[in-house]
Amino acid sequence: MEKNPSKGYVALLGWSLNAVEAAEKFDRRYIVVAPEWAEDYCKEHNIPHVPWDFERLNDRSMEIAQTLQDMGVDVAVPLFEETVEWAGAINSVLMDNPRLLGQSMLMRDKSLMKRRAQLGGIRVGIFEEAHDREDVIRFLKRVNQTLLKLDGDPNDPIHFKAFDKAGCLGHRVIRTPDDVDAIPEEEFPALMESHLDGWEFAVEAWIHNGKIRFLNISEYVTLGYSVFVPASPELEHYRPQIKQQIEKLIRTFDIEFGFIHPEYFVTSDDEMYFGEVAFRPPGFKVFELLERVYGFNAYQAMILCFDPKATEEEVAAFFPKEIEDAKGHAGCFGVYPRRRVVSRLEIPEETEDHPYFESHELTPPPEETVTKRTAFGTHWGLVYFTGEDPHQLKDLLKKQEDLDFYV
Amino acid sequence: MVEPVANETANDNPADSRLPGLLEKLDDGIRSLRDAAAFNKPARLPRVLDTAKRVLLQDGGCAAVEERAEQLEEAGVFLGSDWATPQILVPSLTTHSLKSPEPTTVVIEALSELRLLAVARGQFLHPLISEEQAHHYLTQVLAINLALLFTGPSEAERETQGRLAKVPRSLLQHLADRIGYEHVIDRLIDEIWRILQQRPIQVDPVKQMITQIAICQANPEIDLGISGQGADRLVSSLYGPTQACREDPGIEVFGERLRSMDAQALQTEATGFARAMHDTGLVSPYHAVLLRHLMDQGDHLLAEALGLSSTGRDCLLCYRELVKALIREAVHPTTPQAIYGLGLMLERGIMYQPAVAPSLWRQIALPLSAWAQERLYMAHGNLATPRALLLEGVLCMLGQPLGVGQGNNPTCQSARALSMWAFNDPDYLLQMVAWAARDDEIIMHFEGQRISSRESLIGVASELPMDLDAVSLLVVPHLDRIYAEMGRRCVDRPGDPHRWVNPEFHGWWSGRGFRINVDVETGRLVELEDFLRHFYASYHPYYNGNQPLIHPQPAGVAVTDSAARFIGWHAITILRVAMDPDDTIRVYFFNPNNDSGQDWGDGVVVSTSGNGERFGEGSLPFEQFASRLYIFHHDPLERGELADVGDDELKRVIAYIRNSWGAERLPAEQLQADPGAAARH
Repeated sequence: MEKNPSKGYVALLGWSLNAVEAAEKFDRRYIVVAPEWAEDYCKEHNIPHVPWDFERLNDRSMEIAQTLQDMGVDVAVPLFEETVEWAGAINSVLMDNPRLLGQSMLMRDKSLMKRRAQLGGIRVGIFEEAHDREDVIRFLKRVNQTLLKLDGDPNDPIHFKAFDKAGCLGHRVIRTPDDVDAIPEEEFPALMESHLDGWEFAVEAWIHNGKIRFLNISEYVTLGYSVFVPASPELEHYRPQIKQQIEKLIRTFDIEFGFIHPEYFVTSDDEMYFGEVAFRPPGFKVFELLERVYGFNAYQAMILCFDPKATEEEVAAFFPKEIEDAKGHAGCFGVYPRRRVVSRLEIPEETEDHPYFESHELTPPPEETVTKRTAFGTHWGLVYFTGEDPHQLKDLLKKQEDLDFYV
Repeated sequence: MVEPVANETANDNPADSRLPGLLEKLDDGIRSLRDAAAFNKPARLPRVLDTAKRVLLQDGGCAAVEERAEQLEEAGVFLGSDWATPQILVPSLTTHSLKSPEPTTVVIEALSELRLLAVARGQFLHPLISEEQAHHYLTQVLAINLALLFTGPSEAERETQGRLAKVPRSLLQHLADRIGYEHVIDRLIDEIWRILQQRPIQVDPVKQMITQIAICQANPEIDLGISGQGADRLVSSLYGPTQACREDPGIEVFGERLRSMDAQALQTEATGFARAMHDTGLVSPYHAVLLRHLMDQGDHLLAEALGLSSTGRDCLLCYRELVKALIREAVHPTTPQAIYGLGLMLERGIMYQPAVAPSLWRQIALPLSAWAQERLYMAHGNLATPRALLLEGVLCMLGQPLGVGQGNNPTCQSARALSMWAFNDPDYLLQMVAWAARDDEIIMHFEGQRISSRESLIGVASELPMDLDAVSLLVVPHLDRIYAEMGRRCVDRPGDPHRWVNPEFHGWWSGRGFRINVDVETGRLVELEDFLRHFYASYHPYYNGNQPLIHPQPAGVAVTDSAARFIGWHAITILRVAMDPDDTIRVYFFNPNNDSGQDWGDGVVVSTSGNGERFGEGSLPFEQFASRLYIFHHDPLERGELADVGDDELKRVIAYIRNSWGAERLPAEQLQADPGAAARH
């Protein structure tokens, strides 16, 4: 697409083909900052590109900020959890605002994030940091004592999340000391939280000039398995309260622009509990689902909200009306093989024949023996559904958990 | 035009209500693919293909896809694949892709056919292929896959493809409805004759096709128009070659009829069967009944029924007990091809070689190992005893040495060796068969070192090949491992291992002198002119003192596709170099590939008949052959000097190389002479 030089120049941090395509087809200049392995591909397809190794943190880190500044880049947009603090660091240079680095560090540390939220008057569950397995056992015991359980009663579970991993990666549910033994060494330090019985959901919010410009509620059918957008009317019923919560979050974290992806619980007494917040696109291809129902490109929306040169009018014109403009509901299901030994991919006929079934991105099994599922989020690929009726969609997504996609 | 039957019943089937919804999704998918940036198209493609698959599974799905052919192509469904250049697609490859267990392959093949259908019907003006070409291509596709039109999925297809097996069937049904059956049958008949002219040992696929035609002719719902006239000779060769079995009465009835015939009537039957057999290379089960009946009726009727010339008859009379024993053991209505093999073997006169007759006696009595019996049973079922199956295979291989095929396996070396031994060293072949079938072990020697097929576990083929004739079925797994082991013993030697492996593997007569024009390290062409001059000096009658080739020689060719692009290295046998009826010097060679008639691109089309070929030979004019050759053997003690080949002729050969597999392999100095190429570097 024709680029407009009077609009912002953005750097995309990390390699995402869908993001690159969105940028390519948007009227802003862009440059991809990605590891060296993407270089040949970028050259072949004429994608503007600066190679950078995000895993290496050393005294040359200033170099990338300098390079981008010299190129005239206005802002860096993080695409993955691992590039969030890079974006913060780079933007603090590009925008001459050191606070941005601190803000991004908060987003990268689940424990600091919770404390900050707590300080801002946001409700959070009981949480604690764990540095080793003993910490975990102690926390498990303490949580269950608080709940007035006796020895021998089944424990209420706790959640264990590696500090700096995205979404469901490294997220474990711990019920017994045996579960504790199964945690690998490299997942420490980690955040532990009490389990809240409630309705878990996520929010995607685009922010410009400190205000929410578009707010989506993603409803989880089963955490780590399935999600759909927009949420069912029952959950959308909480939208005004949810909006208030997000505004609180924006104030607390002092967010002026960009995109956030927080997770919440709403308990049976209609109380909202903050889970965590990320400063990058959500997993489970929620951006694709949004495009499917609303027709706007969520990556372009992100670029727009990051761009310091974007105008009020442009932002207002970009977004559709929440809920009203949605064409049906779109959801996806993350497939994990249920059998120990699999030989081929076979989409269940009842899934394939369902009118809501849209497409899948499953590939033939990479290996015959299936490794035991230890944490959430290690699915083998997503299956997409769209349809008019959110309740039917929800049941359908739930149903997928009982089907074999690999046999 | 016959409308697809499916459309008429469209509303009766509840599943059809799905089609509109699926088409909406397909159109969304096509749009999203079309709008994607070039680099992101691969990511959008799976959704389109998967949705298209579901559309094709619905009744009326093919027609809906055909309507969208142009949008699909423009969106970029075929980009970056062979299907993007429809003018080079090879119809025979569709049999594999349509039976693939991989849904993507089946679907993209189906999309491509439907696109060509739109082109053939003038609905889609394609920049690369004309209406006529598309029509021609589709008739070939239909002819080759005819079986899919008339049969339900086999057990194997069900196992590998599941419900996907419905897609190729409804596709072909749709194509046949649109194109018309009359075009298909005639193409198919031509195709069958073309294959039969090469006299393959394995005739089951051909028999299946003929059976399909017979079924098609018998079906009153299929309007064949005036087509299919040429099929009679084929159908009758299997189901009723003579007066006494014209109406395909069944083996029992035919046997009774024979018992009431006098010598004159039997003579007529014998001549009729022999004529049909030699005409097509196919043998009717009735023929076996006759031959067994004639065993007690005098030798001249046997000779008549085998269609023997004086050479063959002489051989029959010399070895009458052996021949009768062979008939008794090998010729049954379920193994009729043994008759053709026996007849041709007698004609070749190889039984006069001292070791052959006793070897055949051993073969008749040969006990088969459990493994050998198992494999024969797995590949051919229990139609006949494993011994009879193997004996039939032996007779066919000795009678038709150039009818050996490698099946769908990377074992061209082993197939070539079997063919060469059957041709040149029959008692050695029989020795190999005995070792493999009885002992489950073959031992060969490589430069004095013993190599056992039992100790070398890994061959070139990763799986045991199954789609082979009975002899290959048992011997190839051993040969393949030995061949691979010989290669392994050469790994630390510089250059190409065939230099040492070929003579040790195939036989003493393979020349120890070796020329290769490819540098193994870099893959570039080296000493091209010397290589060609040396080849001319060794093989071309104008340059080697008019010496006909004495022994078959292994050689290596660079096989190219119909767009002249390099596909791979392939083992063949040079059989003879001679003048064809048009006074062109041609190389006649054996290609272990199942069908030698291949288009290698740039006008190089391997001929299998009409240019002086014997059954099973492929041939090319000498220059064209030289342009695809990369390895040959010669006798190092003979004719050291290079041939003084004219510059024009050499230039023509090199131009063929440059236009095909040599495009990127020619050495730098030659590229520099070409300003266009130099500018690019």
